[in-house]
Amino acid sequence: MNGSIRRLFFVAVILFASLFAMLAYRQVIQAQDLADNPQNTRKVFAQMRIDRGLVLASDKSVLAQNRKEGDLYYRTYPAGDLAPQLVGYSDPTYGQVGLEHSQNSYLTGTADEVELVNLFDTLSGKQKSGADIELTIDPRVQRTALDQLQKIGKRGAVVVLDAKTGAVVAMASNPSYDPNQLAANWSQLNSDPGSPLFNRATQGLYTPGSSFKIITASAALESGQFTPNSMFNDEKGTVDIGGFTIHNYRTEPFGQHTLAEAFSQSINTTFAQVGDQLGQDKLIEYMQKYGFYEKPPFDLPSGEVMASGRYGNGELLPPGAPMDRAQVASMAFGQEQLQVTPLQMAMVAQSVANGGKMMRPYVVDSVVDKHGTVVKEVSPDVWKTPIQPQTANELKDMMVKVVNEGTGSKTKSSQVQMAAKTGTAEVPNQGPNAWFVGFAPAGNPRFAIAVVVEDSDEGGGIAGPVMKETMLSALGL
Amino acid sequence: MQRNRELINFIPVVVLMVIGFASVYAARSSQIDASSLSYGLLFVGLFLIVHLFLRLAAPDSDPFLLPLAALMSAIGIMMIYRIDPGLAAAQTTWLMAGLGVLILTIIFLRDYRKLDDYIYLCGILGVLLLIVAIVGGQEINGARLWLKIGPMSFQPSEASKVLITIFLAGYLNSKRELLSTTTWHAFGVPMPALKHLGPMIAMWGMSFALLLLMNDLGTSLLFFGIFLAMTYVATGRMTYPVIGGVLFTGGAVLAYYVKGTVHNRFDIWINPWTDTADRGYQIVQSLFAIGDGGLFGTGLGKGYLLFKNGDTIIPALQTDFIFSAIAEELGLAGATALLLLFLIFCYRVFKIAVDSDDGFSKLLAAGIGAGFALQVFVIIGGVMKLIPLTGITLPFVSYGGSSIVANFGALALLLLISNRTNKARKS
Repeated sequence: MNGSIRRLFFVAVILFASLFAMLAYRQVIQAQDLADNPQNTRKVFAQMRIDRGLVLASDKSVLAQNRKEGDLYYRTYPAGDLAPQLVGYSDPTYGQVGLEHSQNSYLTGTADEVELVNLFDTLSGKQKSGADIELTIDPRVQRTALDQLQKIGKRGAVVVLDAKTGAVVAMASNPSYDPNQLAANWSQLNSDPGSPLFNRATQGLYTPGSSFKIITASAALESGQFTPNSMFNDEKGTVDIGGFTIHNYRTEPFGQHTLAEAFSQSINTTFAQVGDQLGQDKLIEYMQKYGFYEKPPFDLPSGEVMASGRYGNGELLPPGAPMDRAQVASMAFGQEQLQVTPLQMAMVAQSVANGGKMMRPYVVDSVVDKHGTVVKEVSPDVWKTPIQPQTANELKDMMVKVVNEGTGSKTKSSQVQMAAKTGTAEVPNQGPNAWFVGFAPAGNPRFAIAVVVEDSDEGGGIAGPVMKETMLSALGL
Repeated sequence: MQRNRELINFIPVVVLMVIGFASVYAARSSQIDASSLSYGLLFVGLFLIVHLFLRLAAPDSDPFLLPLAALMSAIGIMMIYRIDPGLAAAQTTWLMAGLGVLILTIIFLRDYRKLDDYIYLCGILGVLLLIVAIVGGQEINGARLWLKIGPMSFQPSEASKVLITIFLAGYLNSKRELLSTTTWHAFGVPMPALKHLGPMIAMWGMSFALLLLMNDLGTSLLFFGIFLAMTYVATGRMTYPVIGGVLFTGGAVLAYYVKGTVHNRFDIWINPWTDTADRGYQIVQSLFAIGDGGLFGTGLGKGYLLFKNGDTIIPALQTDFIFSAIAEELGLAGATALLLLFLIFCYRVFKIAVDSDDGFSKLLAAGIGAGFALQVFVIIGGVMKLIPLTGITLPFVSYGGSSIVANFGALALLLLISNRTNKARKS
């Protein structure tokens, strides 16, 4: 029997060796991944002894602060449901998301910049304290945007950017939630079909519909083949391209019209022909110029920002993925697997408003430590230059026409000249997604905006007042 | 001579114990009472008493087993003390009971080979204990393992495990010849007479019944694994483990489809990340804890094991998941050291089996060794997500009276076997 006993011990050695291998894998190779897992609250817990910095809005009102219990600091959010998807939360049970996650090193004072400024404190081993972060969010505009979405009772998002700097003035996502009640509502928040925890402004992927025509028009105007006055004729309200029939909204025929009119009346057949003439490469080139196919550089955690572009089976397709003629024509008026975020469309509007220069969007304006020293201050910078100033001016006029004579009349205001492009994208089993993308004042734009409303009325007019009221609020009118 | 070596082996145990308790106390002095340090002293005192007892009662027994068991218990009690000093007091009481059982076993079963005459009694008692657990047991975490008598909870499967090992040692020793004789071939595999396959089928049936009735894959796997290992040792033939492995796999697949708990455990093993708040919570938190330990751990008392109210973050931390706590606070270095302790213990047990000169002793020691190794593998593999998680205790380390008492009972048998072998060699 001794032979069998020895072999049995050998088996035991193998079992123990596999335990050791797994242990080493978990504690060495996988350790960092486990530590970085958003569900892992160990780091959050360890940092609860740090007097975490405040999160302040642009008017210095407090969005996140601390409540001390024993020697631990707990987070509270005085603004409640105002901007929870953006500000996020920091909780020992539920982890960290939003700016609370991405700006954690500033808020806890562990970022190199903060430690260098407070070198003396660091060396003397004083209790670390966090730095405050000041946001570009204007709580008044943010509240208007959220109220407008809640007033029409629809899921959706609004992004307002400073047209000159790219600063985020408002970023609302409806439904919202109260981050002070996480523990009480956690399971409900996670099972709610409206996904209140989800930041629709940066993570929501929507078919752009006709709002995409800004990009097609950009490519058309810069190709030298088209001007705003190029003439088109539409007899039937349909056009056949690549063996596929494209219809106008309600198959309405428009007769003789210019490109600018096709834009303001949102004529699909004309844009399909323009797209067909430009070809796939040209359209993709302009999408990339506008920042499609990459995540916009933004202050939120990278996992909370989505790239825009063509998607297949939930994955971003490579820019060169082959398309046939019919697909290219459909893409030209914003269909064909295109998926965009509200932030991306706001950035498109901002580029047109800013003479063709797309600014890097940002929401953290400055980081200020407990002694009042400014540790970091953001200066606006140009991210991309998708179009020439001349093209921007032509597009601007076309977008004014949309408001004054076209599909965007719901945003018309007696106080200010708005510029906009609308879009309605059909969604199976519910009303279409409605888009309003624009800026104001048209003459000297100060703010750019993108509004998306899910399950809207036919034609999407319901989203118009959301843009109008938010914009008036931003302009202080 | 053996006992002097044992005494020397105790020195590192005492040193580690003192350092361990002192560092837990230093890290958590705000939460715990200095008087609780006395558990450490009590612990050292208890093992010294047992050592003195062995000098008289079993002077030639293996000099490594008791210090190894003491060290494993020390690590366990230190960790339990760190989690909840109150539980450490209870565990110290259980340790006293375990050492008491060890002393009584050595006194009354001095000639342990007499057990060979009572194997059927042991077997019946072992099965009865399991039946009692199934019929009168309380369900905790979905498994029907616990028997409540007054204020005390008792896990009959722990004692049953030792009793059934004794039964199998005697039974297999007497049927060894028959079981290893080939009478026919099935698909070219040499097979023993069908009637001798009966016990195999019966044992499989019992393990499977355990699984279905107790809802506990771990206990069932443990019993069947001990049986297969001992059959292999008795016959020296791979046929048994192979047939057994096929049978058990078949049973497990069937259980996957008929038993919700088995299904659940398996799905969580495959992917716990989709349900980290509920079903996957325990294993995911265990992985976070283990990962947090890194190479050298957070240090005793410094890991993130407790909520503010003192509840453990990982449910069942002091019992099933104690290894996760050790891996977090002592790191890869400390947890590997513990794995090595288990392996050295196994080595000593199998060595006792090899050195002893009769079939019953060999089978008994090998069965205890196999059960020990398998139990360690099942629970540590489970908390690391190497295999599906099933709740059983980590021998000598986990909190829990039944487990401590049963393991010290088994340890007493091993001491007796080695005492007999070594004494015979001397003369």
